[in-house]
Amino acid sequence: MNGIDRGSFLPVGGAPTPISESEQTRKLKSTLLKDIQRSAYVYRVDCGGCNGCEIEIFAAITPIFDAERFGIKVVASPRHADILLFTGAVTRAMLTPAQRAYAAAPDPKICIAYGACGCGGGIFHDLYCVWGGTDKVVPVDVYIPGCPPTPAATIYGFAVALGLLDQKLKTSHHQQGESERALVAHPGLPLDLCVGIEREARRMAGYRDGRRIADDFLEILAAPATQPLAERVEHYLKHEDDPRLAEIIARLVDVSAQPAPGDRR
Amino acid sequence: MFKLLKTVIKTGEATTRYPFAPLTVSPGFRGKPEYDATQCIACGACTIACPANALSMATDVEQGTRTWELFLGRCIFCARCEEVCPTRAIALSPEFELAVGNKEDLYQRATFTLTNCRDCGRPFAPSKEIDYAMALLVNSGLPEAEVGAQRAHFETCPECKRLQSIPDSAKLTLSQPTLKGDAL
Repeated sequence: MNGIDRGSFLPVGGAPTPISESEQTRKLKSTLLKDIQRSAYVYRVDCGGCNGCEIEIFAAITPIFDAERFGIKVVASPRHADILLFTGAVTRAMLTPAQRAYAAAPDPKICIAYGACGCGGGIFHDLYCVWGGTDKVVPVDVYIPGCPPTPAATIYGFAVALGLLDQKLKTSHHQQGESERALVAHPGLPLDLCVGIEREARRMAGYRDGRRIADDFLEILAAPATQPLAERVEHYLKHEDDPRLAEIIARLVDVSAQPAPGDRR
Repeated sequence: MFKLLKTVIKTGEATTRYPFAPLTVSPGFRGKPEYDATQCIACGACTIACPANALSMATDVEQGTRTWELFLGRCIFCARCEEVCPTRAIALSPEFELAVGNKEDLYQRATFTLTNCRDCGRPFAPSKEIDYAMALLVNSGLPEAEVGAQRAHFETCPECKRLQSIPDSAKLTLSQPTLKGDAL
């Protein structure tokens, strides 16, 4: 622990005191990023992640995505690093090692909060044993959300961190307008039928795909009848070309033919 | 040697062109949840389903508003919100370029107004939710005029409805209604 004052890192009053960057370091960093003409070395700090993020970081340096063609190289020591990648929700035990890694990396350094856990604690955000996010511990420059972020998202995050690409997301706040109404999905069809079809499709294809299949089928049902239903369904199935879908749609045709259970007319 | 070269040439270049060319993601890829606030009825189904609490909703009774919030930094892209949304207001898009420099840009919010109960005057449900429920009744076969005429009933909070449906104590009989014969 040479040169590191361990006492200042320890949590005070149950919460860690985040390290703050000095004005000089910030200036140094912006000067460097304005005209970066060298490789950027990355050190991975695992602050209690599930290893999913590590696997995706590894995938980003394999031949398919090949981050090393941009000079982005994963190194084994924070003393060689320009970029620190913090993964995981920062467990209690990993607080001090994370801060030591931060202190060991030479200035100017870029800190990236990687993955859902790094950005805001992820699914572990309210656990007793985590600090819930990298920014509670060290100053973060770039956040890469994802659980885990794909290799392409990782490369995009590096590009944002190095100032090569601009970020796409912007915060937004919608205010409900006058006479703003939510529309019913299939206004032309009776509700009982829609519910019955969707329930059956979800039972057979799972919730997410079931909804999509039910919507496609109900659209076919609601379309103006220039051809008989069987022909329209056949046309749709030929277009999609999936035997599993054919089976599900056949079942949906059966369901649509029988009266709905709630229908007593 | 030749065999190796042949294999190398046959394989070609495996590396993708990304980020110099757009990357095509596989069908069914789960990226950024795309939220359509005009279609949202602020029912809160997604906030209950969200396993990571990336979606949350806060009701401000003083202001009579309900604010929906998505914190993308915590999202695990499971699509549970898309599954449970009754109005298809949220759906996962193939958008994956989500890195930001400013944490605030990971937030997305929408504020909706609440309807005050006609009887007690307290806010009890988002106005869009009531409108949507009435639209569903019309959709299920009730005449539009009949549903519209009952608007006062729909804009009454459950507690007031309960109070209204309690029979007048003066008319109550203390004896239990009994079954006579096989009349059920």
